[in-house]
Amino acid sequence: MAAEELGPLPAGRHGYSREQVAHHQRERLIAGLAEAVAEKGYAAVTLSDIVRHAKVSRRVFYANFERKEQCFLAAFEVVVAHLRELVAEAAAGVDGWPQQAITALRVTLAFLASEPDLARLCLLESRTAGPAVIARFNEAVAELAPALARGRAERPEGARLPESTEDSTLGSLISLAQRKVAANEAEQLTTILSDGAELILLPYLGSVEASRLTRAI
Amino acid sequence: MRALPGKENRQPPGAEPVSRDAAAADQRRRILEATAELIAKQGYPETTMEEIVRRAKVGYATFYKHYPDKEAAFLALIDAATAHTVERVEGAYKREEGPWQDRVGAALGALFEDVAAHPDAARCVLVEATAAGNEAAAKHEAALKRLAKLLQPGRELNPRQAQLPESLEETLCGGVVWVLGQRLMAGEAGKLRALLPETLEFLLRPYVGEQEAAREAGEVADAISA
Repeated sequence: MAAEELGPLPAGRHGYSREQVAHHQRERLIAGLAEAVAEKGYAAVTLSDIVRHAKVSRRVFYANFERKEQCFLAAFEVVVAHLRELVAEAAAGVDGWPQQAITALRVTLAFLASEPDLARLCLLESRTAGPAVIARFNEAVAELAPALARGRAERPEGARLPESTEDSTLGSLISLAQRKVAANEAEQLTTILSDGAELILLPYLGSVEASRLTRAI
Repeated sequence: MRALPGKENRQPPGAEPVSRDAAAADQRRRILEATAELIAKQGYPETTMEEIVRRAKVGYATFYKHYPDKEAAFLALIDAATAHTVERVEGAYKREEGPWQDRVGAALGALFEDVAAHPDAARCVLVEATAAGNEAAAKHEAALKRLAKLLQPGRELNPRQAQLPESLEETLCGGVVWVLGQRLMAGEAGKLRALLPETLEFLLRPYVGEQEAAREAGEVADAISA
């Protein structure tokens, strides 16, 4: 994700289309923002920081984004889209809702642990980035609710679970992960896998089965 | 915020130090209320000092007399709001003499009432102050940890208590904070009562099992509709 990894944009006549260059520039800006946020926190990040890390001009920034909040949202979207792909790919080969749920959590935590700066950006910095970002964060979490709600079909008791079950389960999961990142332990996010999985499974499978499945992790 | 002794001596005869304190307290209250309203509406980063003083109907000099900057006012707001909420919730827990489940129900009821009564301040605490790496987050976290302790005795009711995750109480409280924050952001502070039974069920389930948790929630739902 670092701007360095993307390499310098070739100068002069390079055979890239205008669209390709624009796409690269946007990616560089997103990576630049992620680096700047990792360095000093979103609140303190200025436009100059972003373009310096991205190695592009301010003009290029304004051609892509109106303000830093939009650039943050774009960075957030990149991570969300990537996670969605990772989870879909991993869960495709897994049978049954409980194991799919565990797999989704495992893949998500593993990715965030391998990219601690992005984990921080998404889980913590997003809370400081203003109402639009907070709203988008909450929306992204709410998008997970239907996948969770499939657990209601696992047992007859699932039919009478309160409406807010998915909401409160996702909220406690987010809180568990946020706390880990806030303690500067983002790299160890995978250690919350079994506790997190138990939280997810508990309402849908009951405590005995939830604990049996998560003990085996 | 009483005046220094030297200053007090210079006060004109007849002036009451008490009223001076009261005036200062009123100024602080107005500043914090304005801060809460503005931040709840537009977020912390977008809220300016200028907007706060205008809304609080105080001058810049008055603002600076109490707080050095916007962050200080926000922190004072978080302090006051969390202290108030923790006191209400712990008080309700202590006053309830029934079994632990009922005490948690009373505490949660007090929390919901407090949030519904002060939605702007609650939004500042539950949503704006959850970002980490800053002082507000630390205050939020401290309050949450304190309230999480009220859940601890529930472990005694679970035959598998040794296997319960260590972070369970704080994680459950985090879930409640999340749900309340969602509802506040959706402008549904007025509809919180309906959410109380299911949130109680969510909190009790890991300790007493699903059937007992559902039964307790049902009792609370009946009490609300009665």
